Amino acid sequence: MKMDRSFIEEVSKRSGQRFEGCYHCLSCGGGCPVVEGMEYNPNQIIRMMQLGMRQEILVSKAIWMCVGCFSCLSQCPNRVHIPLMMDTLREMALESGLKVGEPDIWAFHREFLNQVRKRGRVFELEFMMRFKLATGAFFQDMGAGMKMVTRGRFHLLPTRVDGLKEIRKAMGE
Amino acid sequence: MGSRGNGGSKGNSKIHYYPGCSLTSSAREMRESFFDIARMFSLEMVPLEDWSCCGSSPAHSTHHGWALLLAARNLLLAEEQGVSELMVMCPSCFVRLREAERAIREDEKKNQEVERAFGKRYGGSVKLRFFLETMDSLGLKALKEKVKRPLTGLKGALYYGCLLSRPEWITGFDVGPYEEFLEDLFRALGGEPVRWGYDRQCCGAHLAVTKPDMVNSMVDRIRDHARRAGANCLVVFCPLCQVNLELRGQEVEALPVLYISEIMGLAAESPHAQGWLKRHLIDPKPLLTSLQLI
Repeated sequence: MKMDRSFIEEVSKRSGQRFEGCYHCLSCGGGCPVVEGMEYNPNQIIRMMQLGMRQEILVSKAIWMCVGCFSCLSQCPNRVHIPLMMDTLREMALESGLKVGEPDIWAFHREFLNQVRKRGRVFELEFMMRFKLATGAFFQDMGAGMKMVTRGRFHLLPTRVDGLKEIRKAMGE
Repeated sequence: MGSRGNGGSKGNSKIHYYPGCSLTSSAREMRESFFDIARMFSLEMVPLEDWSCCGSSPAHSTHHGWALLLAARNLLLAEEQGVSELMVMCPSCFVRLREAERAIREDEKKNQEVERAFGKRYGGSVKLRFFLETMDSLGLKALKEKVKRPLTGLKGALYYGCLLSRPEWITGFDVGPYEEFLEDLFRALGGEPVRWGYDRQCCGAHLAVTKPDMVNSMVDRIRDHARRAGANCLVVFCPLCQVNLELRGQEVEALPVLYISEIMGLAAESPHAQGWLKRHLIDPKPLLTSLQLI
């Protein structure tokens, strides 16, 4: 059987990482604080890339769960930059148009970046409201949210960057 | 760490800093309490003019091009405004700015991308400084001299979280060399740092919003270990850690979560302390009152 190498080669090129060093010692997943939310351990993702399993990886939850805490990279004996690999895979997943494995996490990132596009900064209060609207979980966590408001933890008025035009241009508008 | 411990306030009465989105909103008490420390040393805090968001996790998680440009815009602004040292308080902002700086330095193509977007290249003249470096440069002795009310009875679990405690080659800052200073500082303020093993565990970061159940158990574990070690409060250095440790967790009884700068401000009897304390989601006042610290 011939493996499809094109996928791993693309990830390798875009992330600047070589994955041959991974000998599946499990250090990455062992220290990962969010591995329980992943259906594949980080080293399994590398193996799947080696096997050319493009679609399975791009629709997975695992690539969205990584928060980039660098625990895996700190422990990897071969310094495989897994957080950077995850960033690259997420980007490729979005480009592919395939179903997003964790739509809520994507909504979080998207709404955050919408804030940046809108004012150059994040207006936390509106960001949280828009995230809630986008995910349909408006009343979930309402108590916590109200506490943030009543304790004065959210600024109630947004500020805007003067150089907003150049930020929008940088973000492709 | 050039000026370590020699009271570096001399000859430089201004601290230029990058505010960041959290510090102007959910982490205002981190900024305000640090401002109080600066005031004690007659240092003027000067924000980067027209600063914009560093891109944070959402940019690098989904679009590496934006991650570079959003952070780089602030480096360009600092350079333009003649800032030689830019202090950053939020670990996430710090890592994003540092990462952009490194990318530009190591790869000429990145600077071309910056030039295409903003019409100018980054010359590399700005030195990024994490706020702990600034605090350290004030010197333990000088900080200790500001203590008016020693924090007797405060047993703190110093919680560094992920970005501060990873090796320097990854993030550009490693708390390792500062740990002793921080423990000594906490002791000098009259508190007692506890020994524990969860100081480098991730707080769950942005999953606190999207996966609350999962982060509940992460925070519970951190609280549980802090309690077992005998701590009565958590001492933090990051706006996101602070919010997550207050907001999440279900099973284990919550502990007050204070910024290192608030702790310093309490010991120095900052007149603004009540203002920060009332904004906490886990009220630290019962603990502080019982120890007669407020």
